[in-house]
Amino acid sequence: MNRLELKQVVKQYADKTAVNGVTLNVKEGEIYGLLGANGAGKTTTMRMVLGLIHPDGGNILYNGKPYNTELQQIMGYLPEERGLYPKVKVSEQINYLARLRGMNAKDADESLKYWLKRFEVPEYYDKKIEELSKGNQQKMGFIAAVVHRPQILILDEAFSGLDPVNVELLKSTVKELRDEGTAILFSTHRMEHVEELCRQITILHRSNTVVQGEIKEIKSRYPREQVYLSTLGQVEGLEQLPGVKRVEQNERGYQIQVSEVTAAQEILKTAMAQTTVEHFEIKEPTLNQIFIREVGESNE
Amino acid sequence: MNKMGTITGFTFKNKVKTKSFMVTTIVLALLITIGLNVPYFITLFNGGPIGGGASGKNPVNIGLLTTEQQDVAQKLEDFSSAQGNQAYRFIMSGDKNENALKEDAKAGLIDGYLELESVTGQEFPTPVLYSTDDISPQIITAIESALQSVKLDVVVKDVLTPEQKALITTPVKLTAENLSTDDGESGAASEKSMSPINYIVVYLLIILLFTSTMMTGNMIASEITAEKSSRIMEILITSVSPLSQMFGKIIGIFMVGMLQIGIFGAVIAGNILLPHNRAVLSDFNLSVNDINIAVIVYGLIFYILGYFLYAVLFAAVGSMVSRTEELGQAVLPITMLSLVSFYIAIFSISAPNILLLKVASFIPFTSPTAILVRIGAGVAPTWEILTSLAILAVSILVFGWLAAKIYRTGVLMYGKRPTFKELFKAMKAYKI
Repeated sequence: MNRLELKQVVKQYADKTAVNGVTLNVKEGEIYGLLGANGAGKTTTMRMVLGLIHPDGGNILYNGKPYNTELQQIMGYLPEERGLYPKVKVSEQINYLARLRGMNAKDADESLKYWLKRFEVPEYYDKKIEELSKGNQQKMGFIAAVVHRPQILILDEAFSGLDPVNVELLKSTVKELRDEGTAILFSTHRMEHVEELCRQITILHRSNTVVQGEIKEIKSRYPREQVYLSTLGQVEGLEQLPGVKRVEQNERGYQIQVSEVTAAQEILKTAMAQTTVEHFEIKEPTLNQIFIREVGESNE
Repeated sequence: MNKMGTITGFTFKNKVKTKSFMVTTIVLALLITIGLNVPYFITLFNGGPIGGGASGKNPVNIGLLTTEQQDVAQKLEDFSSAQGNQAYRFIMSGDKNENALKEDAKAGLIDGYLELESVTGQEFPTPVLYSTDDISPQIITAIESALQSVKLDVVVKDVLTPEQKALITTPVKLTAENLSTDDGESGAASEKSMSPINYIVVYLLIILLFTSTMMTGNMIASEITAEKSSRIMEILITSVSPLSQMFGKIIGIFMVGMLQIGIFGAVIAGNILLPHNRAVLSDFNLSVNDINIAVIVYGLIFYILGYFLYAVLFAAVGSMVSRTEELGQAVLPITMLSLVSFYIAIFSISAPNILLLKVASFIPFTSPTAILVRIGAGVAPTWEILTSLAILAVSILVFGWLAAKIYRTGVLMYGKRPTFKELFKAMKAYKI
C-alpha cells in the first residue's frame, strides 16, 4: 500500500523552477532514498511532503488522501539542521513535542523512556540539551522525530556528523522502524547508506528527476567498467590489452578501468600467466559513480 | 486549541523558570520598594532643605536684622506672630549687627537672617534672606506673603480699614466648570477624576503599558527568532498550525508579563498601605480612596488590547529574522511606534483636550495610551471610549491575521532578512 504518493509535483519560485515533475511512491515498510546535489530540490520536495508549502502542480497523497492537518499526528520529521531547545531538559521538550503531535502526556513519557533505553542513555532524561555532546544531541533529535511512532517519517541527512558506532545504532533503528511498517523518505549525500538501506531511489538534478527506480535495476543499467585485481607479484602489460582504459596501482592491487566487460577476461588471463592471482572481481558500478556520472559534478 | 494550550503552558513554564526572569523581577521589586519609601526616608533623616518636612514641629528660626528699617521689621514680626503656628519664626535681633547674626547662624542659634536693605527713593526696603542651608520653598513663599502684607500696610498707611486690607490680600479663586460634557454621567465622573491621584494612576498605567509591551514584545520576538535559528521551528511548524503556535506563544508570554505585573502591583500596594507611607501620601494631598475605579478597569482593558496589538507585530518581526543579533535592528520600527504613542500620552497629560490626543485616541497603535489620558482626565465621553475600543479590537484581528501570514512565510525563510517585497513574493510562492 502506498503510504506516500507524489504525482508530477511541480514547484515554481518566482523566476525558477525548484521541483519539476517529481513522481514517487513510498510503500508501507519501505525506505525511499531521495538523492541530489545541494540545491537540487530535495528540501523543497520534503517541505511539500510535510505540507509546509503547496505544490504549484501535481498532487501529493497520504494513504490515498490529500493533505489535511490530521496528518501532523502521523508524520515525523528530522530536519537537516536539527535543533532542540538548548536550555530545556530532554524529558520536557520531547514530551512537549510529542504532545504537539497529539500524544497524551503519559504515552509520550513512556515512549521517550523506551527510546532513551533503546539508545542506552536513560540518564539523559533529566539532562539539558546543551549538556550533551553533539552526537547525543542528534540522537535526541532523532527521538523527537520518532517518539510519536509516525507512519510516515521524513529524515533529512539523518546520519551526518555521527561517529561510526552511532551511525550503526541509528541505521539499525531505522531498519527496525521500516520493519514495523513505517514509510520512510530518506535524503542523504552518503551513497553507502543509501545502498544499504533503500530499495528505491530518485536522484534529482537541477529540479529534474535524472535517475529513478530500484537500486539493483539501476545498477544493472550501467555497464560494469571496474576490475579489481590482486596478485602476489607484478603484472606487466595490462595497459596494452584491448579495451583497457586506465590502470591504477595501489598498495594491494590494481584498479582497472575497462570499456567493455569482455576485456576483464583478458586481464585475468594475462595476470595468471605472470603470477598468482589472489583476488579478481568485476565490480558493479557504485551509486556514487552513477551519481557523479549523472549529476556531472562531485558531491560531498 | 488543545495544542495552543500546550504551547502556552510550555512557554510560560520555561520563561518563568529562567534565571534572568527571576533576577529582573526581584531587582525591580526591590527598586520599587526603595523608590516608594524614599519620601519617607527623607522625612526620617530630615536631610532635605530646612523646613521641608511635614508640619512645624521645629520652626525655622529667622533672625530679623533690625539696625535699619526697624518699623518694617516690627510689623513683620507682629504679622507672623499674629498668624500663629507657622513653619518659621522671626527672631528680633535687637541691636545685633549683621556680623553678629552671621556668627549666630554659623553657631546654629538661628537658621538664617533677613536683611531689609533700604533703597533710596523707595518707600519699601529690598528684603534679602541669608541662610547657612537651603530654605524650603514653602517657607520662602510664606515669608514673601508676610512681606507682601506688610508692604501693603506700609504703603496705604491708615487709609483703609483692616477689613479692606484683609479683602485685598485674599487671593481671587477661579472655579472652572465644564459645559461640554453632553451626558450627566461623564460629567459626574469628571469631577471625581480630577483628583491628582488619578493622574498618577494614568501616568503609572502608561509607563506600565509602555515598558511591559516593550519587554514582553522583545521576549516574544527573541523567542521566535531563537526557535528559528535553532531550527526547532521546522519541527514545530510541521506539528502545529502557525496560528495556534503564534498565539500560544503570545498568550504564554502575556501570562509571564501579567505575573510580573501582579508581583509589582502587590509590592506597590503593600508599600502604599504601610502606615508611614500613608502619612507621606496625605502630605501630598493624595488619598488612595480617590482613585477612580473606571480608570483602572479601562486601563486594564486597553492594556490587554494594546499588548496584543504590539505582540502580533513583534511575533511577525521575530519570524522574519534568522539570527538573534539582527533582531534589535528589526524591531526598531515597532519600538519607535510605541515611543511615539508613549510620548503623545505623556506630553498631553496636562492638556487632555488637544486635537492631537483626540485623533491619537482613534489610531490603533497610539489609542491605548491616548484614550487612557482622556479617560483619566474625565474628558472622554462613552461613545469615544467604545469607538476606540472597537477600532483597537478590529485592528488586532487585521494585524493578527497579517502577522500570522508573515509568520507562516517568515519562519521558512533563512538567510538575510527579507524585504517586504521578497516576503510578499514568498507568500505568493508558498501559496499562503
